[in-house]
Amino acid sequence: MSVVTVQLGQCGNQIGFEVFDALYTDSHCPQGLCSKRENEAYQASCKERFFSEEENGVPIARAILVDMEPKVTSQTLSKAAQSGRWKYGQHSCFCQKQGSGNNWAYGYSVHGPRHEESIMNLIQKEVEKCDSLSGFFIIMSMAGGTGSGLGAFVTQNLQDQYSNSLKMNHIIWPYRTGEVIVQNYNSILTLSHLYRSSDALLVHENDALHKICAKLMNIKQISFSDINQVLAHQLGSVFQPTYSVEGSCHYRRNPLGDLMENLVPHPEFKMLGIRNIPQMSENSLAYSTFTWAGLLKYLRQMLISNSKMEEGIDWHVQPPLSRLPTLGKASLNRELQFNTSIANLVILRGKDVHSADLGGFKDPALYTSWLKPINAFNVWKTQRAFRKYEKSAALVSNSQFLLKPLDTIVGKAWNMFASKAYIHQYTKFGLEEEDFLDSFTLLEQVVASYCNL
Amino acid sequence: MGRRRRRGGGARVGALPEAIAALSQTLPAGPSPEIFRRAKFDRPEAAPALWQLLFRVLSPPAAAGTRASPALGAQVRLVKSALCSQGYPRRVLARLPEDGSQGSRELLLALAWLLARGPLLEHLLAQTRVWLGDEIPLWQYEALASPGPPAPCQEADGPVDIRHLQWLMGTLRFRWRDLITSQQELCALLGKLLQRLESENTRLEAALQWRRRELVFWQWMDTVLGSCPLQTSPATFLPRDPASGPGELELVARELRGLHGELQGAVEPRRAAWEAKAGGWGPEWSAAQRATQEAVGRDLAALQRAWEQGGAPAQPHRPCRLVKRDARAVEGPGLRAAELTGALRIRESRLETALGQLQTRCRQELARLAGAEPGLIWILPPGR
Repeated sequence: MSVVTVQLGQCGNQIGFEVFDALYTDSHCPQGLCSKRENEAYQASCKERFFSEEENGVPIARAILVDMEPKVTSQTLSKAAQSGRWKYGQHSCFCQKQGSGNNWAYGYSVHGPRHEESIMNLIQKEVEKCDSLSGFFIIMSMAGGTGSGLGAFVTQNLQDQYSNSLKMNHIIWPYRTGEVIVQNYNSILTLSHLYRSSDALLVHENDALHKICAKLMNIKQISFSDINQVLAHQLGSVFQPTYSVEGSCHYRRNPLGDLMENLVPHPEFKMLGIRNIPQMSENSLAYSTFTWAGLLKYLRQMLISNSKMEEGIDWHVQPPLSRLPTLGKASLNRELQFNTSIANLVILRGKDVHSADLGGFKDPALYTSWLKPINAFNVWKTQRAFRKYEKSAALVSNSQFLLKPLDTIVGKAWNMFASKAYIHQYTKFGLEEEDFLDSFTLLEQVVASYCNL
Repeated sequence: MGRRRRRGGGARVGALPEAIAALSQTLPAGPSPEIFRRAKFDRPEAAPALWQLLFRVLSPPAAAGTRASPALGAQVRLVKSALCSQGYPRRVLARLPEDGSQGSRELLLALAWLLARGPLLEHLLAQTRVWLGDEIPLWQYEALASPGPPAPCQEADGPVDIRHLQWLMGTLRFRWRDLITSQQELCALLGKLLQRLESENTRLEAALQWRRRELVFWQWMDTVLGSCPLQTSPATFLPRDPASGPGELELVARELRGLHGELQGAVEPRRAAWEAKAGGWGPEWSAAQRATQEAVGRDLAALQRAWEQGGAPAQPHRPCRLVKRDARAVEGPGLRAAELTGALRIRESRLETALGQLQTRCRQELARLAGAEPGLIWILPPGR
């Protein structure tokens, strides 16, 4: 089943390119550590989902590029075409000549309706190319201008027009000390609108990715390209093919649907995060060997202690011994640091994957009381290695890890709203204070739900 | 009703074009009747289409199905070599230029020759059959019978958290959407299947039409043959040209005999050398060889008996169609699933016995070898 990707804004387009590139290079990686036939099945499965075939054999990404400025989209298109390995469709791009000045309301109320027909037509054409459509993967930033407002509008339209198809929004959480003054307003408006029309919100935080680049990849001058490549690596390790059931020899047909069914059936809990291990520069890779036991131990602690990478993990954080209300401040603190999960999905790729022991993830103490591990925990496997990593594990988690950042953003936005700062820039384009209040209400509810796990 | 040569060619006006139209609809990449007419008069513009038609007809189905068909020159060469290997008697065709610009009449004759000598149309139609997907090979049915993973169950005693219910509702909704998407996919695929079935039906109807009218076509082909210029159609069926005398053949025969002698000379010393090397085993070796042969013969006989006793199906490895039948229906061709299951189970148990015996024998042999060479250390592979 195929996935149609919608790349929105500068952020979405740059990331989208890296994602398709990572998927393509992995599926054509010669060191798959598996038989030739299996490799071909893997390639075919990846291709069916993300690429369509053209006459001369060059795969075309199943994607739409949308931006209000032409610079980034034309760069993206040419970078893909120059590589000679894959490319974007000739008519899959929609761009205008004007920006939107980081104004969410402009993107949502002006750009959206004005270009609705053209954008939806492009999407329709891409959908018709698919033999069967699994859903949409929408890449956008949360706090920028074009990506965020227009993205919210497009997602709403997709909800209306393709109500049976799945929608996953991949959103970039801005730097905490970001440069845009109104980024918190943009963020809460984006999140609240997406919460209503999307099925799942897969979040990548700029701060976390930046730290990974600095500490794990040892990059001195970190550019957005480096950050996007780390991001694409993490996404690739989730979306590349895996076997459908234990001992089966067929690749999973609908990873998007299976992922959503495992992680986000509850309408109040839609926020997902990714962790990946190991993550390192290619130079160091040749000198490292791993065991599943070691990798999974680190991954589990990353989950529990809400750590973003395998360095600097706090090993003191442990699951609480009981689920009764806490007594005493010390245990309260430790409780607050412990990241309770609703549901987890672990994806293992590489050598001897059948021997990996996942008992640590099936511990009921990790999960909330109303969902047992048998429902809350799932694992996908394949012995085909991902890129050059002999063993790699990814974790997609629906847990409290975004609780604090979300709470911070809502708090800051509320403070600004209380003094009505910059509101006129939004009300100028059709947004009302009511809309802001609705957004606050919805997000407070989400924060409360995640808090009471 | 003998063949009558008549101007106009057909029993009634229009019968010939209809016959040719039916023929070209049945053939893959069949050209229009106009091309056939022009070919009778050896018009050059008809040649490329006929070369391509012959290429489609003569090339193996896998090659014909690939997206990019080769250039005309390559097609011409392939057609020539295919016809030659099938024994096509007219040498004129082999001399036609490789750019595919001439020889439409010769190509027409070649096509008629192919049609006349065997069930060409049936063969082509069978190659491009639409597979309906209701067939499975016999030995794969076991995989389908295995049950899926058990659904996770929940105890219903005690107060249930409403969030859990909401979770379950959400799961149900996702599965529902998945079902709808699968149904849409099924509809799209069925649509494609119907289209292909329709086009196949058209071809089959054309084939029937052709069968009814082909007499007219053969009468017309007589006129085509008749219109060939005499000097270019020796149409010799003798493989040997008597004019060139026995000399050439004798030469070839002598060369072959010489080659044979040389090969013998090369093989004998090599065989002797090998036997000398392996000769350390001597009579033991030939005795061992005989013993192995006897053992293998016994095993084969046992398997054969087991197979026959197990009531083996007539053609075990042909794909079979699955047909649901009323349990009360007694007679009918084909196998019943229950019989097949039983037969395969018996076969399985016999094979397991045989495996056990072989394993015991291997173990004994290993023990013997281990005992025979006391200085040898055996390193076993790491355990699973």
